Amino acid sequence: MNIAVRNINLDAGHPASEGGMELLLWILVWSELIVFGALLGAFLVFATLDPPALAALHLALDLPLAGLATATLLTSGCFAARAAFGHKPRRNLVIAALGGLAFCGLKIAAFAHELPVLAASEGRLAELYMLIVGFHFAHVLFVAGLLLLLVAWRPAPRHVATVATVWHLVDLVWLLILPVIYLG
Amino acid sequence: MPRSLALPLPAVLLALLLATGASLFAAATLPAGPRGAAIALLSLFKAALVVLGFMRLQRESPALAAALIGYAALLCLLAGLRIALAG
Repeated sequence: MNIAVRNINLDAGHPASEGGMELLLWILVWSELIVFGALLGAFLVFATLDPPALAALHLALDLPLAGLATATLLTSGCFAARAAFGHKPRRNLVIAALGGLAFCGLKIAAFAHELPVLAASEGRLAELYMLIVGFHFAHVLFVAGLLLLLVAWRPAPRHVATVATVWHLVDLVWLLILPVIYLG
Repeated sequence: MPRSLALPLPAVLLALLLATGASLFAAATLPAGPRGAAIALLSLFKAALVVLGFMRLQRESPALAAALIGYAALLCLLAGLRIALAG
């Protein structure tokens, strides 16, 4: 990303606060990855220990809708990348945000018919599924619904690059949720 | 700016969408062993494309890019192993 690590060199004449902000960004990124990694690791362990529960969970999940949501999120990420590389940042950030909100709409549609089935089932896998996917959903909603649009309002290059990094993190996490939960 | 291979964004997106479709196809059609391997490889391919194609992090920090891809590789390997061994 054009951003993040490039300006960390304080000798280049940048204010110390810029380097600090970038360090904070990467601390945030890795904190998120560690939390999601722990949750996905727990899901893998419980799925291995309880195959019937996993099979029941897969019956409740809507794989085509998850595929469509993935395509939507990735397309949105492409627009965020375009913004970060300086191509009409405002317009591309708004399109990226709309893509994120469309992803949320697709997940709500999926939850609408998954939740009644999952609520009736007992066990940790269904709870972990809701925790992981719900936590990711909250990230998408927060970043797309607030951060992307906020930065699009006044798109300073450093802010655009930072919010694009966070958006790509959200993409990356979803790409790891997919094989662990949906495709297994 | 250091010279490095920069994939065009539309090509990256197309590859990501094709890999996503291939993952769904593999999940629906392949037996457990090849399914685990295919899903792990395709998922790692997608994660690497996001890091190298969208973020282009390798230009700024190859170490960070490698760390992110390594993290994704670990989770993809574990997911693939679980699928291959348990079905």
